[in-house]
Amino acid sequence: MILAAYAVASAMALAFISIFKWNSITRVFSVLHGAAYLGISISALALGKIPTYYFGGRYLFIDRFGIYEIMIASAVFLFAAVYAMPHSKELVQSGELSEKNFKFAYLAFNALLAFVVAAFASNSLALFWIFAELSTASAALLIAVINSRKNIDAALKYVFVNSTAMVFSFIGIILIFLASEHSLGHGTLNWDELAAGSGLFEPTLLAVAFVFLFIGFAAKSGIAPFHTALPHAYSKAPSATGALLSAVVANIGIYGIIRAYSILGGNSARLSISPILIAFGVGSVSLAALSMLQQTSTKKLIAFSSVEHMGLVLIGIGVGTQQALFWVLFYIMAHSLTKALLFFSSGVLHRQYKTNKFEKMPDALKFQPLASAGLIIGSCAIIGMPPFPIFLPKLMLLIQINGVSTWLLAAVLLLLVIASVSFVLLLSKLFSNVSTGEAGQQLKRFEVPFGMKFSIVALIAIIIILGVFLPDALKNFISAIVRELRW
Amino acid sequence: MEFLVEGWINVLLALVLISGAFIVTRRDLLALVSTYSIQSFLISAVALSLYLIEKHNVLLYLAILTVASKSLLIPYFIRTIQRKMRIRRDLEFHYITPIISIFVTLILTLVAYICLSKALTASSAQNDFYLGAVLGVSLALMGMMVIFSRRKVITKIVGYLMMENGVLLFGMFLTELPFIVEAMIVIDLIILVLIAAILAVGMDASIEEFQARLNVAHKWFTQEKEDDEI
Repeated sequence: MILAAYAVASAMALAFISIFKWNSITRVFSVLHGAAYLGISISALALGKIPTYYFGGRYLFIDRFGIYEIMIASAVFLFAAVYAMPHSKELVQSGELSEKNFKFAYLAFNALLAFVVAAFASNSLALFWIFAELSTASAALLIAVINSRKNIDAALKYVFVNSTAMVFSFIGIILIFLASEHSLGHGTLNWDELAAGSGLFEPTLLAVAFVFLFIGFAAKSGIAPFHTALPHAYSKAPSATGALLSAVVANIGIYGIIRAYSILGGNSARLSISPILIAFGVGSVSLAALSMLQQTSTKKLIAFSSVEHMGLVLIGIGVGTQQALFWVLFYIMAHSLTKALLFFSSGVLHRQYKTNKFEKMPDALKFQPLASAGLIIGSCAIIGMPPFPIFLPKLMLLIQINGVSTWLLAAVLLLLVIASVSFVLLLSKLFSNVSTGEAGQQLKRFEVPFGMKFSIVALIAIIIILGVFLPDALKNFISAIVRELRW
Repeated sequence: MEFLVEGWINVLLALVLISGAFIVTRRDLLALVSTYSIQSFLISAVALSLYLIEKHNVLLYLAILTVASKSLLIPYFIRTIQRKMRIRRDLEFHYITPIISIFVTLILTLVAYICLSKALTASSAQNDFYLGAVLGVSLALMGMMVIFSRRKVITKIVGYLMMENGVLLFGMFLTELPFIVEAMIVIDLIILVLIAAILAVGMDASIEEFQARLNVAHKWFTQEKEDDEI
């Protein structure tokens, strides 16, 4: 029933966008598409319909973890669609998005949501793989749709790095199938059956299978060294797409890693995998922190910050305690919302200055006060300052990391400080850039349309509220996910 | 009979490996696509031979699908794009020359053999077709090498397709694959169409149309050039 509702919403949105030739209708239907998804998810939760299994539980299901990710994805999509209403118009007017590509771009934009949600609703590892690949495809189209040779390069790189890594995941899928065939008597690829029976699996084979799976999922979420396509892709894409890539598509990879790691639950393979995850996590955080220091472009800095955060999340998964997973899940949500805010704010600045280089943005505070506020609040939030929602999960994860090793904690802390310094540098360079004389007066102010303003203001409000107030319902819900995953 | 088929499979596998080495070293794009087509045909022949021994229907479907999609449809599709793009040769090798790539190929096969023998001895001791699995992984690694060492997108696509042929081979020998393999082929077709679409928009246009579009979006593009590393 829930899944049918999602499918109908997507089918209607895609059909109306294809049929009607007016661009305004296309924009409205995208917003309605996101709103419908969010509405369906909330009502399904309120009515207590979760978890639900379809087709005898073999292919599709919606459990708590799935619907949690679906809700994050639909919320970010909704804001991105509202933001894109005027933004896409601007892109067409400036010639960056050609009129004939407009509908195509919106179809890919809406299909992306459908594929992401389908991936979260897949009970079969193979189906999950397929939808993850399809999401890569539609995301690449969204990057390539902008009229610039560099966008085509970025899109191709994104496709190749992701798909190549996902081929390794496919080897992992075959190995998991083999492991289950040997231990359970019948091969299965269902998340729930695998998790229930994994205690019997042969540990070495399971560990090797996990490593192969991990390569593809890590590329999807931007874990170093598989992150190489991400900074280009995130920074070349239009801001609404950048937000979706960083806050929604990257979550598919982390979701896959969490699910796959939960399969290891009752198996001794977990002991050998945990240090691998922590090592890749630390690697990502270090690489991102050092790269961030050199960035002179807002969007690239934000993109590398995604690599850093995904690295920290991975360390949290590797720590493996129930508490760590609880805060990892909360972290994912906080990160998605904050990243969307940062992309939207820097998108406004890009429209004002036609560049992402923050050294070439004089008088940002004067020309674009709201986007500047969004960038300041977003930067403070993303580095984990109180009272924003990343503060608490970051602190709690660090405490959990201390449980593994104090040295590890010290190293991670140092790297997080370096990453924070780059945001401080961004803000200080951006806002100390005040023009003198005529140069600043020649610049014409870009009037921010309502849709763009709305998304920024709404996200600022949400992250402040989530930062100071953690509702019991949310706490209980995340705890239920942790139990459901048998962590 | 079974003994004969097994020998035949080994011959086919050797041919698959040779076709892989050919793809790794060739510069001529048309020859690359033809080799890929032949390689896919060989792999479907392997599937058919396995069917004769194991009698799993999945293997039969796999053989038919592989011939139809990978041996005929995809090569036809790539050739169409190639004709549009008017590119015949991929002369650029990053990092490694063709001779070194042959050596790297040998090393990759060896590494795959050693790693797999450690990982799979416990679980697939009864499986006689261990060699096929090893060759599958080496083929996938060779495909990856093509993706990273060659510059032209068409060559990269052939590299990606070879990787996927490798995985197919790997899966065929290790386990009785479920329906997903067929689905995987469909997905790859979609991705290929996507890459081709991106190419048609970008690379193809780079000859004439892109110039025209460049003028329209002149403002944007000069900006783009200015901040080179946005």
